[in-house]
Amino acid sequence: MPIARRVGAPRVVPTRGIPYPAGDPSLSPEDERAWRRTLLETALHAISTPVHGPTVFEPEGTAEPAA
Amino acid sequence: MHHVSDVALGGATRFQDGRLTLNVEELRRIFDDPALASVAISVVHPGESARIVKVLDAVEPRAKPRDADGIFPGFVSPADSHSGSDTHVLRGAAVVTAGYLPRAQEALADMSGPAAALCFLASTHNVVVEFVPASGADWADVAAALRVGALRLANALATAAVETAADEVEDLTAPASPPAEAAGDRSLPRIGAITNLQTQGAFKDVYVRGRSLAGSPPLAVDAGEIEDGIVVSGQYGHPALKNPTFLHQNNPIVAALRARDGVDLRFAGLVLSPEPVEQAAKETTARQAAELCRDLGWDAAIVTKEGGGNADSDVSLKMDALEAAGVTAVGLFAEMAGADGSGPPVVAPPERATAMVSTGNYDQRLQLPAVDRALGGSRFDLLDTDASAAMEVPTAVVYAALSPLGWGRLTASADG
Amino acid sequence: MRVVHYINQFFAGVGGEDSAAVRPERRDGATGPGRRLDALLGEEHSVVATVFCGDDVAASDPDAIEQILQLIASTGADMVLAGPAFGSGRYGIACARVASAAHAAGLLALAAMAPENPGVGEAAAVPVIESGDTARQMGPSLERLATAARELAAGKPAASLDGLIATTRRVNRFSDHTSAARAVDLVLARLAGDRAATEIPLPDFGHVVPAGPIDDPATALIALVSEGAVVPAGNPDRLESARAHKWLRYPLQGRDSMAAGEYQSVHGGFSTVAANADPNRILPLDAARELERAGRIGKVYDEYLVTAGNGTAVGDAARFGAEWAAELKRAGVRAAILTST
Repeated sequence: MPIARRVGAPRVVPTRGIPYPAGDPSLSPEDERAWRRTLLETALHAISTPVHGPTVFEPEGTAEPAA
Repeated sequence: MHHVSDVALGGATRFQDGRLTLNVEELRRIFDDPALASVAISVVHPGESARIVKVLDAVEPRAKPRDADGIFPGFVSPADSHSGSDTHVLRGAAVVTAGYLPRAQEALADMSGPAAALCFLASTHNVVVEFVPASGADWADVAAALRVGALRLANALATAAVETAADEVEDLTAPASPPAEAAGDRSLPRIGAITNLQTQGAFKDVYVRGRSLAGSPPLAVDAGEIEDGIVVSGQYGHPALKNPTFLHQNNPIVAALRARDGVDLRFAGLVLSPEPVEQAAKETTARQAAELCRDLGWDAAIVTKEGGGNADSDVSLKMDALEAAGVTAVGLFAEMAGADGSGPPVVAPPERATAMVSTGNYDQRLQLPAVDRALGGSRFDLLDTDASAAMEVPTAVVYAALSPLGWGRLTASADG
Repeated sequence: MRVVHYINQFFAGVGGEDSAAVRPERRDGATGPGRRLDALLGEEHSVVATVFCGDDVAASDPDAIEQILQLIASTGADMVLAGPAFGSGRYGIACARVASAAHAAGLLALAAMAPENPGVGEAAAVPVIESGDTARQMGPSLERLATAARELAAGKPAASLDGLIATTRRVNRFSDHTSAARAVDLVLARLAGDRAATEIPLPDFGHVVPAGPIDDPATALIALVSEGAVVPAGNPDRLESARAHKWLRYPLQGRDSMAAGEYQSVHGGFSTVAANADPNRILPLDAARELERAGRIGKVYDEYLVTAGNGTAVGDAARFGAEWAAELKRAGVRAAILTST
């Protein structure tokens, strides 16, 4: 995340772990699929939202400008 | 400390007048384990035209006066051993394991030539252990058997020196200089070391008293304990950025701070920390480390890592958290500026605490000559070439060449 | 000197991103900013032709540079000036490649762009003149380019041209002291109040103008891309596990999910056990297909692009990003989801 902010990536969705950016092995398979779906829905929200600089889109759906 | 001037195979395992001889048959039995079909032990010396490929771990031979009392806790001695007794060190020798393990990124060490100055193994007489895994053995078991075997072998070699007179004795309980008068002493800044350990599980883990530090908060330890080998490496990626057990035993930051303890600083201690992979955990660990150092009364900290850009994040987060907590921070970083050095050096630098030491550019290329002898394997797989052939490689493949713990004198700077 | 000015579709007045797929074309005389450049070059030199190309084509079609070179050769010009490309990655890469090809063909050549442009790393032997970060600095950027062009035409050596991007290189050397000892010196300096002391300066990654939002994702073609190094099992094209110098593409047609056993991650920077057990954790195809079936997106692009983001030189990474943008835009992709490890 700090790397994404530092290099200026305009739209970033934070995930749970480097070895599994679109997953979470601590969840059951069904819950993990649902989490992955949530991440992609957040990504869709991000690409439909205008931004002016590096912006973090939390998977709960709220957007906040990065520091 | 017992200085080793030569190591040879044959005869009994003995240490006399600086010369270590090895009873290979006896020492090979240290590696008896269902996961290993066989091991071979050979010796290679500084200055030889020789190359070790597929280098795994390196361990400095150390022993205690009585049995294995307190040495390599968690592997050779019980995990909770604490021993205040002397530690005998065979200085100038190393036990080196070499061979294929999955997920090990191929590392090489040359005993002479342009890569020699980059690797501490070029200045030690190396007892090299090569192995054949037992068929059907789980690789994790193979790695564990090698690890314990190497530690036991290192202990056995140093044990041979225990009865002989030491060449040098280092007293770690006293500062380098006598402390100044009480009032003056208070003016010396208290500076400690934070050593980040890779904790990514299979083949990428570092052990403290035999257990991974994964999931643990940062841990203050008695800096003297690292001499007895409480930190053991099981991390086989990132050749140039690796901290082998040998360098944990000889933690360069701790040594550099001790060298000036009482002179212009007070050595404040050592904190070991995991390098979590999850972002939230990285931030938590950074905050915990900062609070711990602040509560310990440190004025400043020197932070080191193990690994690449991912590990840089952990250093940077800690440095910024320390500054926010009122503790001045400095971090050691390797640079990834590309083969011609024109790229940005660090991708995840700190934002507030911006004092960074450079341990060199990872990508700069080296021309290595052909060598007479190669150990650890007959091929250098990365280039699909004969291991003893001449080759052009990035500095990144030379074992511990960019020493994140600060062992080396390699650095990078702008040529303007 | 007879000069050819190379620019992109936008500065040629053809159109913006929507026209980034136009093929190479040539026009007589100067066009757009080339007119000002022509005036700045003075009496001795003139812009006899303009060659332009869509950024996506120039940065991704392997034949485009050759076609551009042929158009340049057809003008009989002695010198090629490419850009200024400012911070635009695809345009900068195109300018660097065009200038390099011209140079290799025996012409004098210069490219101009901002210092962090990934094209700087693509220019090889061709001098790159510094421009501003955005087209707002067109005036001063053209002045610098024209000055350097006049100097080059007069025989000044490439390395001493005015306005050359000063590529500071980080070069290895052996210090007299260990890094550990220097760390102690550095921390004492910081404690003494020196807030600037450091061996590594903070990098400048340049500025990316965010793309506008997509109005209607339900009709959009969306691509999945990754630096998690997920490749077909066996890594047939030998993607490097670290310090990757290339990227690869693999088909997704007919697949609803990244099947374990058929794919693996060869990334050397993290434990790939979780990724290999379920490669969707790196490339979220199963969830993307759900979005497709539910009509939330139009379609998933039928290829994924991949590299290994482990110890990747920043210049390479920036170039990959610009090349991916060019590729995907030519394919009509409106947005890409990048999984980062």
